[in-house]
Amino acid sequence: MAQSGVTVSIEAVHENQIQEVSLDGHETVIPPLSMSECLAKSAQKIDFGEEDEGIEGKQTSEEGTTEKEESAFQPSLWPWDSVRNKLKTSLTEIGVLLDVLNIAKEKKYMAIVQVQQDTSEPKSALQLLAKKKAISLQSICGGLNTAASVLISGAERLKRSQEEKGGVSSHDKFHIELLKLRQNWRLKKVGNSIIGDLSYRSAGSRFWQGGTFEVTKTTSLPSDQEGSTAQQYPLQVVIPSELEGSSYLQLEIKSVPDSMDLMSVTLQVPDGFGRTPLNAHWQSRLDTAQNVLFCKELFAQLAREAVQLKSNVPHVVVSNQIITNIFPGVQLSIVLCHSTGKGDKKTGPHSGKMDHKHVLEHSLHQLLREVHHRTLHLAAPHPVTAPFGMSKRRRLAGPTAMSRSDLKEMSDRSGETLLEQIIKQARHEVLRQRTMSVIDRLAGEIPDPQIMAHWSCLNSPLQSNVKIIITSNGYEGMRVTWQSLDLEIGVDGILVTTKDRRTLKLSFQEKEVEDIIRWQVSQHHIALSQNLARLIGWQVLSYNGCSGVGEMEGFACASSIQLVAPNNDRMLSVRSGPTSGLHVFLKIDSSGNLDPSLSSLVDPKWLNLGGTFRELDLEQIEGRNLATKLELIMAMVNKKR
Amino acid sequence: MDPALTQALKTGVAPMQEYLLQGSILDGSKDILLHRLRGLCDNADTAPETFSDHEMRVLNNRCSQSMCKHLRYVGQTEMGIGDKSRHTLVRTCLDIGVSDTVVKFLNEMGFRADFEFVARGIFFHKGRMKVTVSKLFKLSQPGDPQAGLEPVSGSHLVELSVVAPTGQEQVGEDMKNFAEQLKPLVCLEKIDHKPFAAAKQGT
Repeated sequence: MAQSGVTVSIEAVHENQIQEVSLDGHETVIPPLSMSECLAKSAQKIDFGEEDEGIEGKQTSEEGTTEKEESAFQPSLWPWDSVRNKLKTSLTEIGVLLDVLNIAKEKKYMAIVQVQQDTSEPKSALQLLAKKKAISLQSICGGLNTAASVLISGAERLKRSQEEKGGVSSHDKFHIELLKLRQNWRLKKVGNSIIGDLSYRSAGSRFWQGGTFEVTKTTSLPSDQEGSTAQQYPLQVVIPSELEGSSYLQLEIKSVPDSMDLMSVTLQVPDGFGRTPLNAHWQSRLDTAQNVLFCKELFAQLAREAVQLKSNVPHVVVSNQIITNIFPGVQLSIVLCHSTGKGDKKTGPHSGKMDHKHVLEHSLHQLLREVHHRTLHLAAPHPVTAPFGMSKRRRLAGPTAMSRSDLKEMSDRSGETLLEQIIKQARHEVLRQRTMSVIDRLAGEIPDPQIMAHWSCLNSPLQSNVKIIITSNGYEGMRVTWQSLDLEIGVDGILVTTKDRRTLKLSFQEKEVEDIIRWQVSQHHIALSQNLARLIGWQVLSYNGCSGVGEMEGFACASSIQLVAPNNDRMLSVRSGPTSGLHVFLKIDSSGNLDPSLSSLVDPKWLNLGGTFRELDLEQIEGRNLATKLELIMAMVNKKR
Repeated sequence: MDPALTQALKTGVAPMQEYLLQGSILDGSKDILLHRLRGLCDNADTAPETFSDHEMRVLNNRCSQSMCKHLRYVGQTEMGIGDKSRHTLVRTCLDIGVSDTVVKFLNEMGFRADFEFVARGIFFHKGRMKVTVSKLFKLSQPGDPQAGLEPVSGSHLVELSVVAPTGQEQVGEDMKNFAEQLKPLVCLEKIDHKPFAAAKQGT
């Protein structure tokens, strides 16, 4: 029978060998090797003399023939023996070395020679320099050259300053110029540089763009160009780039056809006008830069108002131009012309063709200055403890209980914008020009009565007055015959006051002024006839200032007068109208045709009722004007028969 | 919302604060100070404005009579004098333009006249800062500024004040910088008014 498999039990070997087992079962274990014993054991195995040989050989021999080795070598008393031997030999060697060094120190028998590698370092820097010189000779030469040139130029400058006549060195000249500059402009020293301010900030401007310029000493040598010898200033100003060049504001009023659309305007291209050369005097350069800044501010303000203003007429702002219609058919354009002077100059008198309104441009400048002034000069409060910044009227608004509409009106009047003001002025300008041209034209066209215009010396940008007087040449003594007219030209229309103190309001149309003058001319004719008749002795039968009979006039009305001779047999009728003109009719009665028998019954005066009027051809009658002609007629007709 | 703002919206009155710095200068040195101020303040090219105000203090109010009457209602100083963060004296104030009947009105309301004086001097301004150099006069006949005036002391009172809406701290800085410019001539600083009030009540 098969036995069950042998039970094999595997046990781990005891790590520590058992030395003996005592009778009571207690095992005495060989204590494991301590660290020093272990080290000794390992040290024994190492052969210090044969380190370079294959360590594998050693290891294999170690495992297998540990005992053999032990038997080959002499059995050592303690495992450190070989180590001791090795150390002994090394000690011997070091002793030898020490002896050698001591002998070498004496320098009698032995000397220490430096090994080449150690002493190479102090020499390498020089070598390096030489290398660098050799390789980059050109760069050093270049460096030396620049250094030389700097020194030379410095020396030149010193020589120049020493050679200058007058005893004033350029350094002093600079300071004298700086003093002159300080008298005109505000300067400040910031760090190493001198900064100046050319904006209008201190005068009340609140423009975002500031103008600061820098003052520098002229360091460049005088060049050999012609004409530059006299212009070398010790001082130079550096102006910010956006303020370079020069600029001006151009205002133009033009008549455009009625149906012209604001959108189809022609853009103005500023023509190149003279630029200030770089070596011009600093005052002129600073002035032009300040002007550029001022024009910028002015245009920015106008453009802002044009966009924000709510008015009946739309304003158009296109890049550097503002266009608006001030009257139907009349356009105002404001253009900011800024030329930096860098472009090529256009030849030809471009500006001659454009009709600038210089007065209005100047007016714009003045208006902006006024805005500045108002910012700074606020009314002082009385009493002093009151808040300041309000006008007196505003301060009294509370105690005097102003209503809301009053306050609104007050704010409207005081806060008129720049654009509104300049539009008003432009309108007035247009009206005045038109009226002037009409009067002048009519004075030339109408020879018979003289038309004289006396313009008032005192006028404002928004109102002018003119007095028109119509007289006959040679008969000015008769003041009664004068026709006088007062025209008050405002912003929107004209107010006319006639001799008899009637007022009429005219619109901006030119024709209305012409009509009025023509009407007054016709009135003058009749007034003249009336007074002449009185002087000569004729009698006025009827005077009609506005006759409702006869053909109708185009405008106004005709007036007429009937005169009768002193002996009652001649009658004169004069009719004058603005469109129908002047007509003189004469009636010579034919009393001879009457039956002689009737003359005893009837009063002779009734015999005058018959007869027809016949027109006289005034062209044939001698005389310069109606007055002389009438006088002649009356004298001839009244001749004693 | 800010309580001051809600109050302002309810009453319709903007809350304004007055920032004040005061100092004094002897009569003899007044001219140098005026010259200095003329250079520092706006409108250096025109002559500065003079003023002559008759002030009547009605308990805690100030009522000045001149061309148009003006009433100023001034509150307590904010945060006291010891507060180092503020360079100036700050107190809320209300400025009202009034008609001539204001004195009678105030009397009816229960206010009694405290004292009155006349201030004569010169007024400067720089931006929104007001500088006044004034001499104070006592009235020999109360209520009648036309009668004789006698000066209170031998020096001028210099005041630098700004009235601004609440909450603007920059004002204090600006005022301090301006006061620095006048330093050697006159020292403008915030002066505590409490001891004066206490002394007056004691007398």
